[in-house]
Amino acid sequence: MTPAGSARPTAFALRLVAAAVIVALAAIMTWSLRGLIMPVFAGGVLAYICRPFLVRLERWRIPRGAAIGLLLLLIGGATLSAFNGVRAAIPNEAAILELRVHAVSALNQRYRALMGLDASWGRGNDLYRWTRRDLDPLMDRVSDALSLTPDERAPFVTLAEGPTDEAASRANRLLDGDRANARAREMRARRRGLAGPATESVDETVTGRPAAFTGRNEPPTIGGALSPWLVAPLIFLFLLWDPGTLRRGLLRAIPNRLFEPALAVMEDVDEAVGNYVRGIFLECAGLGLTVVVFFAIVGVPLRWAVVIGLFTGATNVVPYMGFAAALMGGLTYALLAEDFHPVIPIVTAETFALWVVGAVALAEILKNVIYEPIILGRTVRLHPIAVVTGVAGGAILFGPAGMLLAIPTITIVRVLIASSARHLKAYGLV
Amino acid sequence: MIRKLRFPGLKELLLPLRPDAGSEDIASMRARALFKPPEGAASKQARNLVEFLRQVVLFETLDRHELAQVARVVHEREYADGEYVCEEGKPAAALFVVQRGVVEVVRRGAAAKEVSLALLEPPASFEESAAVAAGVTRWFSVRARGPAVLLALGKSDLDALCAHFPVLANKILRTLTGIMALRFQILIDAEIVRESEEHDGGRP
Repeated sequence: MTPAGSARPTAFALRLVAAAVIVALAAIMTWSLRGLIMPVFAGGVLAYICRPFLVRLERWRIPRGAAIGLLLLLIGGATLSAFNGVRAAIPNEAAILELRVHAVSALNQRYRALMGLDASWGRGNDLYRWTRRDLDPLMDRVSDALSLTPDERAPFVTLAEGPTDEAASRANRLLDGDRANARAREMRARRRGLAGPATESVDETVTGRPAAFTGRNEPPTIGGALSPWLVAPLIFLFLLWDPGTLRRGLLRAIPNRLFEPALAVMEDVDEAVGNYVRGIFLECAGLGLTVVVFFAIVGVPLRWAVVIGLFTGATNVVPYMGFAAALMGGLTYALLAEDFHPVIPIVTAETFALWVVGAVALAEILKNVIYEPIILGRTVRLHPIAVVTGVAGGAILFGPAGMLLAIPTITIVRVLIASSARHLKAYGLV
Repeated sequence: MIRKLRFPGLKELLLPLRPDAGSEDIASMRARALFKPPEGAASKQARNLVEFLRQVVLFETLDRHELAQVARVVHEREYADGEYVCEEGKPAAALFVVQRGVVEVVRRGAAAKEVSLALLEPPASFEESAAVAAGVTRWFSVRARGPAVLLALGKSDLDALCAHFPVLANKILRTLTGIMALRFQILIDAEIVRESEEHDGGRP
C-alpha cells in the first residue's frame, strides 16, 4: 500500500473521532447548562416577537438604541398594567378561604348528585358501586387539601361570636359550610369503615394536613430560583441589539466552498422557524378563542371562559397540553361553580359538566382537522409518533423546557438535515 | 430624485466600434461590458464598509442610513489566490461585490478548458440575478487572482431587506433592473456589430 493510500483511512478515522468528540462535548455542555435553556429560549422568543416592531421603528428613521428604549418602555408599561390587573383580580385572603370552603361544598354536592348518594352517604347508584374505591379516597384528598386549618378558621370564629352584622353572618355561613364539608368527609370514611380523621371531631378533622402539603411551603433560595432567569433579559437585549453579527459570525466560520449552500440552508431554516412561530401562535390563538366561544355557549361566564381560553392557548405550545388544560379548567369550573348561563336552553346543572367536556372535545377536533392543516401546513406537521416520542423524551431529559422545545427542535433538525442534503447535492459537495 | 445610472467608459468601449476590430476584440468587449466596473471607482480607498458600499453602482442611490442597513446584512469573505468564489453550473444564492484584490471571470470552453472572460476590481459586482431570482444557475466561474476580499449579499438577505425596508429595496431593485437592462442592451448591440462584421468580412 502506498503512503498516500494508508494516510487516507487514518485521516478519515481522525475526522470521525474529532466529530464524535465534538458531538459528545456539545451534549455534555447542553446537559450541564440545561438550567439555562428556558431563560435563553424565553429571551430569544421575546426578541423574535419584538424584532418586527423594532424594524418598523427603524424604518421611520428612529435610531436602534432609541427604538429599543421605546420598546422597553412599552414592555415595562404593559407588564406593570398586567401585574396591576392580575393583582386587582386576585381575591383577598378571606375571599380565598371562602372560595375553598365553597369549592369543597360544591364538589360534595355534585359528587352526591352524580353518584345518587342518600343523606347518610350510605347508598349510591351503580356508578358509585363501581367507582367508590377510587373516587372516595380522591374526594378525601381534595377535601383535605382545600378545607380550613384551625389557624385559618380562628378569625372567622371570632367574627361569628361578635355582634350580629353582615361580617358575622358571613363568618357563620363559612363555618357552617366548613362543618358540612367535614361531616361529608366523615361520612365517606364511615362508609368505608375507616378510622382516622373521620373519627375525629368536626373541628379537628381538618387540622392535620398530609405530609405532602407540609413541604410545599419551603421557600427556594432566592439565588437558586432567580439566577438562571437573569440571563433572559440579557439574551433579549443582546438579540434585539445585534445588527446581524451573530448570523454573520456563524457564516464567517463556514469555509468558502460551503458558503452559498450554508446561505441556502440558513434561508430554509429561517423560513421553517418563522413558519413554526407564526403557525403555533395562530393555532394557540385559534384554539383559545374556540374554547372561549364554546364555553360561553354552554354557560361558563365570559370572564372565566376568557381565563380558561387564555390558559388553553398558552399551554397549547406543548402538544396535547392545550386540550388537557381546557378539559381541566372547564371541568373544575363545571364541578365547583354554580353560576352558569347557557346560551343553549337544554344545558342543565346536571349535564353542565358533560357539555363542557363536549365543548373541549369539539374544540380539539376543530384544531386537529381545520387549524393545524391550514395554519401549520405540511412544513411543520410531524407524525404523531414523532410528536409523542419527542415530547416524552424532552420531558424526561430536560423537564418542562424539554417538553416545550421538543417540537421546534425536531422541526429545525428535520429541515436542517433535508435542506443540507438537498443543497450539498446541488452544489456537487456530496 | 432618481439618479441616472453611470457606466463610464462603456459607450466608448462598445457603441462607436472600430470598424477594424477583430472577433477577439468583440469577445473581450462583450466580457468587459458585462463585468467592467465604473472607471475611477477602483482607485478610491474605502474607509469603511458604508463608504465602500456607497461606491458600488448597485447601492449608489441609497443614503447613508440605508447603506448602514445594507452593511448589516452583507457577508465579508476572504479568498486565497486561485480559490473559486463561485463555480459554473452550480446554483447561485448570492451576488458578490469585489472589495479588495482582483478576481477573474472564467468559463469552460469546448474542451473543458477555462477561458478568461474578464478581470474584476473593486467595486465591481457580479451575478446580480442570483439575488433576485430563485433557481439561477451560474454560466461562469469566478476565482481569486491573488488574495481577495468580496462582499456577498444572499438572496435571503435581500428578501429580508425587501420585507423590512421596502423603500430601500425598491431603490436597489430599480438600480439592479437598470444595470441588467443596460447590460442586455450592450450585449444586443455587440451581437449586431458582430453579425454586421461577419457579413462585411464575407464579402469579396
